[in-house]
Amino acid sequence: MARTTAPVPNGNLKIQLNGNNFKNENCKKNGYHNKAQKNSTAHSAGPPSSRQRFQRPESFENPPMYVAVMTYLGFGIVTLFGYFRDFLRAVGLEKCHIAREREEQKDFVPLYQDFENFYTRNLYMRVRDNWNRPICSLPGPVFDVMERVSPDYNWTFSLTGKTIDNVINMGSYNYLGFAENDGDFLKTVADRTQQYGLGVCSTRQEMGNLAIHEELEQLVATFLGVESSMIFGMGFATNSMNIPALVGKGCLILSDELNHTSLILGARLSGATIWVFKHNNMQSLERLLREAVCSGQPRTHRPWRKVLIMVEGIYSMEGSVVRLPDIVALKKKYKAYLYLDEAHSIGAVGPTGRGVTELFGLDPSDIDVMMGTFTKSFGAAGGYIAGKKELVDSLRSHSHSAVYASAMSPPVTEQILRAMKCIMGLDGTTVGQARVHQLAENTRYFRSRLQEMGFIIYGNDDSPVVPILLYMPGKVVAFSRAMLKRKIGVVVVGFPATPITEARARFCLSAAHTKAMLDQVLFDLNELGDDLCLKFSRRKYSPRPQQHNNNDDTDFELDS
Amino acid sequence: MAFEDVWKKISWLYYQYILVTALYMLEPWERAIFNSILISVAGMAVYTGYVFMPQHIMAILQYFEMVQ
Repeated sequence: MARTTAPVPNGNLKIQLNGNNFKNENCKKNGYHNKAQKNSTAHSAGPPSSRQRFQRPESFENPPMYVAVMTYLGFGIVTLFGYFRDFLRAVGLEKCHIAREREEQKDFVPLYQDFENFYTRNLYMRVRDNWNRPICSLPGPVFDVMERVSPDYNWTFSLTGKTIDNVINMGSYNYLGFAENDGDFLKTVADRTQQYGLGVCSTRQEMGNLAIHEELEQLVATFLGVESSMIFGMGFATNSMNIPALVGKGCLILSDELNHTSLILGARLSGATIWVFKHNNMQSLERLLREAVCSGQPRTHRPWRKVLIMVEGIYSMEGSVVRLPDIVALKKKYKAYLYLDEAHSIGAVGPTGRGVTELFGLDPSDIDVMMGTFTKSFGAAGGYIAGKKELVDSLRSHSHSAVYASAMSPPVTEQILRAMKCIMGLDGTTVGQARVHQLAENTRYFRSRLQEMGFIIYGNDDSPVVPILLYMPGKVVAFSRAMLKRKIGVVVVGFPATPITEARARFCLSAAHTKAMLDQVLFDLNELGDDLCLKFSRRKYSPRPQQHNNNDDTDFELDS
Repeated sequence: MAFEDVWKKISWLYYQYILVTALYMLEPWERAIFNSILISVAGMAVYTGYVFMPQHIMAILQYFEMVQ
C-alpha cells in the first residue's frame, strides 16, 4: 500500500514560507519561540498569493520491524481467545450478551450475521469504555467527563454520579476555539433566537428560506473569494446528497484512497464509475486520468461525460494536506473538474484561515466545487458548497438536501455568521486573526516537541490534526485509560477506521489551548511514552527547541 | 529498598509483556490460561533440554570423532 512507504517527494522537500507572514504583525501573542520572533526578518515580506509556494515535507515514517510483528502477535492472541469465547457461548457455558434469534426462528434465514460481528464482539466490547464517554460540559479546551463503571467487562455501564472535572480536551474539532459559552460573544445568537425562534419547520425550497440564510451564503462566498455559495443543515449530508446532483451515470469519479465516508457514499449514490488513486500520489492520479481520456467509458469507449477528482483539504486520520498545486495543474491539463472537501482545513490553515487554497496561494476560481463544513472551525453544524454562480444555482434546484432536508436552524446560522465575521475581522476586532495565528503557533510547537521526544507522527507540519502512532492494540487501550487518569481526554482510533496495524491516537489542537495546557499534555505524553514504550521513531532530532522554521529540514537524518 | 526497586522493575516488565501480547485486553482468567499454557510449554522445553542435552552433545562429539 502506498501508505506504508514514504510518498515520493518529487522534489517537494523544500522550505515552508507561508507560516511566517504574520510574524511581523500582532505581537500580542508572544510566541513560544522567543528567538523565532527575532529571527523572522528574512521571510516576513512574502505575499500570501505568491505562486512560489513551497511545501512542508510530510512524513509517514515506518516503525521498526519488531513493532509490526508484535502487533500481529497481539491481534492473533486476542483472535484465538475470541474463538474460544465464541465456542463457550455456543456451547452454553457462558451467557451470551449479544442479540440472538429466538428458538422458534432458528430455521429461518439468519437475521444476525454472527461472524461479521466477531471483531465487535470479541475485541471492541472488551475495551469499549474508551469510546462514547459521556461529557457533561461544553467541549471547549477543558471539559468534564462523567465517570462510569462496568461490572461485567464493558457489556453494560453505570454512571457513578461523579464527574472528572477539567479534563484537557485534545479530541474535539475545536480548531479556532469557537465552541464557547461566554455570554458576551453569544449575544447576537440570543437576539436572533428571539427574532426567528429555533425551528425552521420547512425545507429551503418551501418555506424555510430565511433572510439569515441568504446573509450567510453571501458571507461565505465573500470569505472564500468565490461567486456564490449554498449552505446545508448537516455536513455529512452536504457531501452525500450533493454529489449525486453533480455527477451521474456515464461520469467518472477519481477519488483519493483515504476519502471520508460521506464522499464515498455520495459517489456511490450518484451511480458514476469510481476509480481510486493512491493517497496524495500524483503519478497514480495522472495515470488514471490518461487512462480515462484514452479509453473512455468501459464498453462503448465513448468519452466520459464528466471527470471529477475528489480530494480533501486535510485528511483527518493522517493529518496530511492535499497537493493542491499539482492537482490543479493536472486537472487543467486533462480537462477534469475538482471537488475539494475542506471540512478540516477551512478556518484552520492558511495565513488568514481561508483554507488550503490560501495555504498554497492558489486562485479560488481554479477549484470547481469548494465544499466545507461549519462543524469544525466555526463551532456550529452544517456545510456549504461554493463555486460559480451557475453551479450553485443548479444545486439549489437539484440537490436532495435543498429539496427535502430541513433548513439550518437560526441560532446555528447566527453562530456561523459571528464566527466568520470574527475571523474576517468584520466585527472590528483582531480576535479572529489572533486565533488563527495562535492555532498555527500551537500546531508548530506541539508537532516539533512530539518529534523531538521520539514519537512517530504522521502528516504535514501545518495541519492541526496530529496522529501519534501506537500500533499495538494493548497499548492503544492502556494509553487512553492512562491519559484519562491524568485528566487528558484523547481520541484513540483502531481497526475499522485505520489499517489494522496502524492504530493511533489523534490529537486535535485548538486555538483555545494555552501554552500551559500544551505543556501539561506534552509532559504527560513524555511520561507515558516512557512508561508504555511508545517512542518508536528512529529519526534523530537535535535537542534544542525549535527556533526557526527553516531548520526543520537540516536537523534530522532520514531513516533508510 | 533494593527489593522494592527490583519488584517495581519486574512489575513494569510484566506490564510490558501484557501490553505487547494484548493480554491487557483480556479478562484475568483468560490471562491465567494463557500464562499457564506459556509457562508449561516453556517449562517442558527447558526440561527436555536439560534431560537430553548431555546425550546430544555426546552424539555430536562421537560424530566428529573427538571422543570414542
